[in-house]
Amino acid sequence: MNNRILGLLFGACLTMSFDAMAAPVEVTLWHMEQPPHRVARIQEIIDAFNAAHPDIKVKQEPQNWGEVYAKAPAALAAGAGPDMLFAIPDFTPVLKNIGALTSVSDFVGELDKEHHFVKSAVQSYSYDGGIWAVPLYNMAMNLWYRKSVLDAAGLKVPETWSDWKAASEKLSTNGVFGMGLPANKQLYTDQTIYSVMVNGGATEIFNEDGSFRFNNPQTVAALDYYSSLQKLSPPDSTSWTWGEAEACFVSKSCGMIMQFSVISSYDTQGGGDPADLGVAAIPHADGETGHNTIAYANAVMLLSKDDAKRKASEEFVRYLLQPETYGKFLNMEPGLFMPVTEDGAKSESFWSDPMVQKYRSQVETIIANSQNGKLFGFTSGRTFPSIAAVSAQNVIAETLQMIVVGGKTAADAVAAGQDRMVEVAK
Amino acid sequence: MQKSRSLAIVFVAPALIVLTGILGWPLVSAVLLSMQDVRTIGSAGQWIGLHNYQAVLSNQSFWMAVAMSIIWVVANAAAQTALALITALTLNQNFPGVRIVRTWVILTWIVPTVVVVIIWRWLFSTSGGMINPLLAQAGMIDRPIGFFSTPWTAMATLIFINSWRWFPFIALMMLAGLTRIPSDLYEAARIDGANGWRSFTRITWPLLAPTLGVLTVVGTLLSFNVFDIIWLMTAGGPAGGTRTLPIIIYETAFKGYKLSEAATMSVLATILLMAFALLASRTLMREDDR
Repeated sequence: MNNRILGLLFGACLTMSFDAMAAPVEVTLWHMEQPPHRVARIQEIIDAFNAAHPDIKVKQEPQNWGEVYAKAPAALAAGAGPDMLFAIPDFTPVLKNIGALTSVSDFVGELDKEHHFVKSAVQSYSYDGGIWAVPLYNMAMNLWYRKSVLDAAGLKVPETWSDWKAASEKLSTNGVFGMGLPANKQLYTDQTIYSVMVNGGATEIFNEDGSFRFNNPQTVAALDYYSSLQKLSPPDSTSWTWGEAEACFVSKSCGMIMQFSVISSYDTQGGGDPADLGVAAIPHADGETGHNTIAYANAVMLLSKDDAKRKASEEFVRYLLQPETYGKFLNMEPGLFMPVTEDGAKSESFWSDPMVQKYRSQVETIIANSQNGKLFGFTSGRTFPSIAAVSAQNVIAETLQMIVVGGKTAADAVAAGQDRMVEVAK
Repeated sequence: MQKSRSLAIVFVAPALIVLTGILGWPLVSAVLLSMQDVRTIGSAGQWIGLHNYQAVLSNQSFWMAVAMSIIWVVANAAAQTALALITALTLNQNFPGVRIVRTWVILTWIVPTVVVVIIWRWLFSTSGGMINPLLAQAGMIDRPIGFFSTPWTAMATLIFINSWRWFPFIALMMLAGLTRIPSDLYEAARIDGANGWRSFTRITWPLLAPTLGVLTVVGTLLSFNVFDIIWLMTAGGPAGGTRTLPIIIYETAFKGYKLSEAATMSVLATILLMAFALLASRTLMREDDR
């Protein structure tokens, strides 16, 4: 009898241990790519990964950028945070400051040997002696126009600020707004203003010691120029986000706009003629040489402290960056997300997408522009924690609003903007 | 008697304890948080006493937000009361289809906020929106209006949208009050030769006043706390022109990473609202006694 009981117990223990061995490691991915087609594409990749890795189970939980800055720290504090979380550079310091991140230098080094990252993409996450996220894709701001519209007006693609203003003024006829520029206190406006600033020599907003150097003649000139160009925009551009600008361009209400990409909306709602869609680098100040732009290297942070979950997360990221998967991942929104690895930029899976093939020349231009990408607060190789508050509170856009809505001069607004930066950084 | 009272207290006590916990604990937490220097959720903070209160009360942006909140509440109350009263008086009449109209009038109130925001953003847009072309066709404007381009137009537009959303709900509350007024009062007034206006000022308005009083208190508290429409439409802009207290509290907590300072603003806002509710309740009770 005793033997029988012992046998049953042994059998039960054996079954339990097999169950435990068979149970896959579950990892949760939070990302902010909410549009349904992007969620569906990520799910396709996850399903393929899960099928190829029976010992790991990845699941996605889409979030939105508006909430994640508050939600992620709260979830992590409650022990209910994700194992992987997509990031933009200014989001990473928020989680690093609460001790949620450990450096992924070794892992990035390993991936770099295999895929060769674009240096600027890694640079945005490299500070304080570590690398805090693995770069995944790049987004760079560009100038979009219709070739037929410029031709009809006898204009060339603007190269300098003078050309740009003249072209915008000439295109402002018959109810069309020559240039659609946002002036909302929002991230999109931060991005477009900084794209102008970096083309006027106002790249740095921090001094070496972490104090602000926003208030300088180059920034004043850039803001002054931007506000003069913004006068040629629709009156409701003070409340624009990315979508409204795209709608303005696609509906032909705006002659030109600054945007990461308009390919999807242009293709579905704007005629879809690839020969007529023009994309160029952001014009630079008269006297400057070379074009720059703002570039956001999006990345993934690995948050799990559990060794098995962390290894599973790394395995998923490895899979994502494999050239045969990577193109499929980037093309969840064709023409918007650009590769951050050398082999990704050449991968068949990226270039074989029908939309990418159709707009190949535009995509090539975007990639070329992104090589000169910079991001405020992440340009000097040192990153100061206050950039998170400056960015989250859209102080650059707020400064523009002081000119456009408040009627201040550019010099006064930039001085007030610097004071505001000091205030939010406290 | 004494025994039954004790028994009643015993029965009520669990519910009271739960209620006190549910209502009281967040308030106590907020007060404790306001006396520390916590920056982000999950991070530790030091005890700093009343320093945050000093900082908030000397912050010009806070007082601007208080002023914006007062403008927002008063303008919404006026617009919603006027619209709701007209609607309630109309729905109190007998006309064919009145039952269907009474049911469907709450349509704007049941539409989710996000849908309301998307619809109105599109309608007011200068690129493809309907309102600007309609105004242009009517010869009222020669170039598109930016409804959200200046602080005052943005505030006025938001008040219009919020009132459009909420007035049917208030109208139904008023309608409930109107149906409680005995019809023989109107009949007697008619026999005495009173016209419609006199009936309204002497019968409808005085008997509706208690309902209006309650609605004013509830409506003020609800309006004051509106966050979603403002945040989704303007995020407090342009240039802070629609930054009410809930907006500045959210910005301070989740964009400025000053959780304790935001808690301080919340405590001050709560005190403000409690004072208003207390004052209004006392006034209403005094009116009832009269």
